Amino acid sequence: MSTSLTGLLALGVGYLVLLLLCAQAAERGWIPARLLHHPAVYTQALGVYASAWAIYGSVEFAADAGYGYLAYYLGVAGAFLLGPVMLLPIQRMTRTYQLASLADLFVFRFRSRWVGTLITLVTLLAVLPLLALQIQTLGEAVHLLTRAASPSLLALLFCLLIAGLALAFGARHTHQPARHEALIAVIAVESLVKLGAMLTLGGIALYGIFDGPADLQAWLDGPGLITQAQTRQLDSGQWRTLLLLFFAAAFLMPHMFHMVFTETPSRRALLQTSWSLPLFLLLMAVPIPLILWGAQRLGIDTTTPGIAYLAFALSDSPWVDTLVFLAGLAAASGTMILIALSLAGMILNHVVLVAHPPDNRPDLYRWLLWLRRALIVAVILSGWLFYRTIGIKHDLTTLGLAAFVGMAQCLPGMLAVLYWPGANRKGMVSGLAIGCTIWLLGLWLPLLAGYPALVVIPPGLESLEGTPGWYAITLLSLACNILVFILVSLMTRTSEGERAAAEACSVDAVIRPKRHSLAAKNGEDFKRHLAQALGPDVAEREVSTALEALGLSPLDGRPYALRRLRDRLQANLSGLMGPAVARDIVDRFLPYHQDLQATPDIHYVESRLEAYRSRLTGLARELDSLRRHHRRTLAELPVGLCAFGEDRELLMWNSALARLSGIAGESVIGAHCASLPAPWAELLSRMIDTGQPQLYKQAVRIGAELRYLSLHKATLAAHGDERGGTVILVEDHSEMKWLEDELVHAERLASIGRLAAGVAHEIGNPITGISSLAQNLRYDTDDPALLETAAQIQQLTERVSSIVSSLVSFAHSGRHLQGSHVERVDLHQLCEEALHLIRLARSGQDIRYSNRCPSGLEVDGNAQRLVQVLVNLIGNARDACQAGGHVEIDAQPHDDGIHMCVTDDGHGIDAAIRDHLFEPFTTTKAPGQGTGLGLPLVYNIVREHHGHIRIDSPPPDRTHGTRITVWLPRTQQDGEDSDAPDIDR
Amino acid sequence: MYVYRIMLFLVFGGYLLSPMLMSGWAVPGTAWYRPFVIWGGLIALSVWLEQKRKLDEH
Repeated sequence: MSTSLTGLLALGVGYLVLLLLCAQAAERGWIPARLLHHPAVYTQALGVYASAWAIYGSVEFAADAGYGYLAYYLGVAGAFLLGPVMLLPIQRMTRTYQLASLADLFVFRFRSRWVGTLITLVTLLAVLPLLALQIQTLGEAVHLLTRAASPSLLALLFCLLIAGLALAFGARHTHQPARHEALIAVIAVESLVKLGAMLTLGGIALYGIFDGPADLQAWLDGPGLITQAQTRQLDSGQWRTLLLLFFAAAFLMPHMFHMVFTETPSRRALLQTSWSLPLFLLLMAVPIPLILWGAQRLGIDTTTPGIAYLAFALSDSPWVDTLVFLAGLAAASGTMILIALSLAGMILNHVVLVAHPPDNRPDLYRWLLWLRRALIVAVILSGWLFYRTIGIKHDLTTLGLAAFVGMAQCLPGMLAVLYWPGANRKGMVSGLAIGCTIWLLGLWLPLLAGYPALVVIPPGLESLEGTPGWYAITLLSLACNILVFILVSLMTRTSEGERAAAEACSVDAVIRPKRHSLAAKNGEDFKRHLAQALGPDVAEREVSTALEALGLSPLDGRPYALRRLRDRLQANLSGLMGPAVARDIVDRFLPYHQDLQATPDIHYVESRLEAYRSRLTGLARELDSLRRHHRRTLAELPVGLCAFGEDRELLMWNSALARLSGIAGESVIGAHCASLPAPWAELLSRMIDTGQPQLYKQAVRIGAELRYLSLHKATLAAHGDERGGTVILVEDHSEMKWLEDELVHAERLASIGRLAAGVAHEIGNPITGISSLAQNLRYDTDDPALLETAAQIQQLTERVSSIVSSLVSFAHSGRHLQGSHVERVDLHQLCEEALHLIRLARSGQDIRYSNRCPSGLEVDGNAQRLVQVLVNLIGNARDACQAGGHVEIDAQPHDDGIHMCVTDDGHGIDAAIRDHLFEPFTTTKAPGQGTGLGLPLVYNIVREHHGHIRIDSPPPDRTHGTRITVWLPRTQQDGEDSDAPDIDR
Repeated sequence: MYVYRIMLFLVFGGYLLSPMLMSGWAVPGTAWYRPFVIWGGLIALSVWLEQKRKLDEH
């Protein structure tokens, strides 16, 4: 079994270079993103758990404890089987608050930077034996293959190469991406390599040494029975303890925490690992006993030291040796890279930055990058130093278990994060301190000093005597840890901050975030404030990134938006510098107004409930369904509705109000009432301030339109847990107001009509008498003066008769169409007829008339009445024109009707009387020339035909003149619905 | 969400009862692959629960 050292080094270096190329391919997009994000790739990446222990340590453990070796795989498989109830809540927390490590999570939950430092130190001490295990297997494998004299120096060489890879994968850029695609790809490839190698080795044992499964079974039942009977069996306590240790390792070990929570591509991928990772581990575990039994079948003594490397003895083929070496290298390098990356981040955030906060440091990103790089190298080298210090005196099981027992000391704290909001910092630190002390004295220091595990069995636990050191130490340290944790937590006070964080972390979190207002007014203000801590460039970049992620404008001043921006910034800075430093910076430079009372942030609570909806069960789900139903009822109410909190922050803006105002709810919810767009800020503030419960028909200009809104409010008083605020209903009464105006106008016209009819009747008879008398007078005298007088009397009575006739005509308008003949009328012909009548008059002979109505445009109506309309309009136009003026009549289809326009280039109509033109006796003509009844008559006739009329003076396209536009509904074609509404009925 | 409780029950039940299973594996004459078959069964159950969860959430 001797291989050339150069060849082996070339193989190792070649493999690592291959990984580098794989990382390059992932980074440059040569590997499709769909493949990189596939859950199967993520599962392979999680296979980083299978470290050198899974290649060599498991064989050693299986030789010692039989199927007990499965605990290493089943513990983790159990954790992932429980992924949906255990890993997902942690993943949600780490994603929401950008917590990249166990220390970040503990700092967030227990609200102390020193907790982070403590967890980091415990983690560092715990992973050192695990790092040493990886390095030891590398050195030993090279030594076994090449018989090289100094395996530790060779191991150092590999450590430096692996450190280089870690720098290339995880610390190349100043900005750390949320997910390292290249790292995921590389670790997945490493997992594939070790899985392929292990399955091949298992196959070699099963079919190369045995003749298949049946032969193996026969050997186990026959010659192998004695060997198997000599194998120690773990007692139930040890087995359960091992399961617990490896269960905890699934999410406490820094590399696993990093891979499970920080690098998760999606919730779906994490859920899929509940079966895919156990499957991967099953495939990794199956070859272990095959390798062991194969070696036993070959007659190799499996009770001597060095049995971890039995796989090398399966065959004399250098290919098999190469395969085993590559499997070990893949397992060790993946674990070392991830431990180095995650632990370097923890040390940076919780030791270095806590000791030296980066106050306004120029070029902060570069400084952080170099610190991170130095720490990555330092972590790997410290692993090598630990390995050098302890030598190879300890077997892999001892080394590995020392690491796992150390990390398990964080398990009570982790469970409290998820399930015990009453736990506090003092309890956690006390428990951790006592547990770690027992572990350090009992397992860790003996590793260094070379003496056996130091176990002090307390009275009453004599049954632990004679059990393996790791077992007794695990039970004692965890029992003391948990007991002290609970007692101290119960006996000491929990701070408000811890309570709030506990609620955010708890699986059954009751989320009651508070609304505070911020000193900063908008995103630009945020940049200025943060620049004091981070420098202007970093502040600009961080705020811009957060604004972009939230889709907010830098000038958005909504309190809700600013709070979200602050949270996002804290989360982003937490990813950069850890939660403790991030919280310090944000609290110092983006403070809340402490003088104002905080109110619950309902909108935020609702958005959280929406996001977590699928995770609610039972009564909570029923309540949520009820909440959604009520919310939808309010949102879809056909009346405008808005709700304000006690601090006048807008909480609801329903869809009817969004349609009425033209303002989308998303753009204003969370805004202060006073900062709403005009005219809503003034209107709603007035409504909140007024002591009246209603405001009727408030004239409000929305866009270019004048609208009349009625507002009703209900004031909600705060009672205990119930929140206060104001609910305002906004009804659009514009249509009603216009109808009322129309009704008043019609009523006035009707009154005038009735008056006119009475007056005409009463005046008609005397006037007829006067006219007859004047006629008689002309026959009774020859006196020219009297004849002249009689003629004048007759002229005047004719004029009065004309006025009376107009009055009668006006009084009768509105009833004519109902009983009159309605027919299809061609507007061109109608216009010609009207112009013919106009031209008969003596006046206006010097005016030019143009009929531009196209032929074929027809309306349903009474031709005689419509001619009357046109005669009136053209007559008015003619009277308004100067000599040589021009009157044109035009018509064109518009919507479901026809616009007919009579336009003149005359002097126009004074604005003061324009609005009263349709009222009787309003005229622009000189006294005696107009009765003021023409346009009211026109108005009535047009309304009889279900049309409407508009006056533009001057018209929009002219500088002077008047245009009267009459809209009449078009003639309905055959087959069309003729049941048009008649508004006059 | 209810499906997760089944898994919770199975995992903790398995944790408590696993020493009994393990002592069974060590009995001579037992098929060497029995632990792996049980493990495979648990994985199949997990796949089924995952499919059921997906259906529940849609």
